[in-house]
Formats: sequence, structure tokens, C-alpha cells
Amino acid sequence: MTWISNLTTAFGLLLLADSCYSAYEHSALQTHRAASLSSLAASHNAPTSTLPIDITIETIFATLTICLGIVLGTSNLRPIQWRVWAGKIEREGEAGFLNSSGEVEKDYIGNPFRLLESRPGFVDIRKQRKEFAEWVKNK
Amino acid sequence: MPTERELQISPIVPESVMHNTKTLSNLQTLTASIFGAAAGILGLESYSGFLFYFIFGVLATVLFYTIRVAPTSLKAGHGLFDTSRYFRTQYEFWTGGLFNGLAGYILTWTLFYGLVRA
Repeated sequence: MTWISNLTTAFGLLLLADSCYSAYEHSALQTHRAASLSSLAASHNAPTSTLPIDITIETIFATLTICLGIVLGTSNLRPIQWRVWAGKIEREGEAGFLNSSGEVEKDYIGNPFRLLESRPGFVDIRKQRKEFAEWVKNK
Repeated sequence: MPTERELQISPIVPESVMHNTKTLSNLQTLTASIFGAAAGILGLESYSGFLFYFIFGVLATVLFYTIRVAPTSLKAGHGLFDTSRYFRTQYEFWTGGLFNGLAGYILTWTLFYGLVRA
């Protein structure tokens, strides 16, 4: 999924660079014209004339594309309420915390009571029996 | 802000809060630089330049909301524009990064304005 965001951002950056160069050329042309005209007549061009409309449209479109690309490249948000977060860990385990390239995120803590639950007196033996039975079946 | 008692009944995960605010502020700083480049290219001056930044800043946040917050938040039953699943206050979500990105915006704005206007 990360290639979509990278592609969009790269395309937007290309468009932005193109419109930047076009605007630079336009402004350079304006000053050149003004310089050659002022050698003939006393009138001066306004220091900043309006950009052509297509450069403006290209700039806005490039900006929006880059913005979209960057937003698509952000990582998934995590719920902040404790019960929602803990429920998500119990139901989905690691699969709910994958980052864009499919690996588990680096600061994933996991079940916060992991150490408590593995104490001998608190082991859930029925759940472990069920897991073992499924593993034997799947072998 | 929730009271101490409300925080005891439904606690908040600080690691998630940190991750979410880091993601959002990264996004806003990065897009602010890009908006600065666009404003420099378009040759915007004083008031229109700042107006451009605030409008596009809000636009970027709305885009972030529709892509990252809305799908899971609306499915979980929160109302429209309710960010309480991922962020503590709405104010923090919508306006928190605006003044952080302003510095980067002005930087690239003046840079590109000077570059393009020769």
C-alpha cells in the first residue's frame, strides 16, 4: 500500500517542479521584456504581473496531489481508550498493528498483562488445551 | 478534559496518544512546507499568503480525517467529526498543528518566492 502513496507524492512533486520552472520562466520573460522595452520607452511593467492561469491550476493540482500522497502514506492510528485498545489486541493480536509494509510496528507492546498471565497459578489451562488440539489438528 | 475519576473508569493509553499526535504533527509540518512552495510559486503576498496556509492546512486535516480517522471511527459508532477514538480533544486535532507548521510554511514560502521571482 505504500507504493500508491509514494507514486502519488512523486507525481505531485513532478508537477510542482514543472509549475515552478514555468513560473520562473514566465517571470524571467517578463523582466527581459521590461528591460528591452524600457530601453525604447519610459514605461515600466508592474513588478509582479499575474501568472498564466494554467500555471496556477497546475500548482494547485500539484499541491493537492502531494497532500493526498502524504496523507495516504501516514500510518494507522491507534485507539486511545484503554478498553478499545486492549480489545483490539486480544481480538486481532499482532495483525491489527501492521504498518504500511506489512510488518508489525516497532513500538507494539502487545498484551500488557502478558507477564501476569504466564504465572503458574494464573495459567488458563483450557485455552492452552484448545490451542494445542488445534495445532495437532492442523499438523 | 476528563476528570480524574473519569480517567480511572476509562483510562487512556499514553503510547497511543503519543503515536497519534506524532503522526498528525509530522503530517502537518510536511504539508506546510509543500504549501509554502506552492504559495511562493503563485507569488502570494502578505494576507493572501497566510489565508492560503490556513485554508490548505484545514483542508489537509480534513483529508487526513476522511482517510485515517473516519472509516474506523464511524464504524465504531462515533458521530461525524468526532475524533474521540484517536485524539483527546477536537480542538487539538483541528488546530494543534497549524501553528507548528507555520514556521516551515514561511520558510519555503520566502524561499520559493525569491527563487521564482528572480
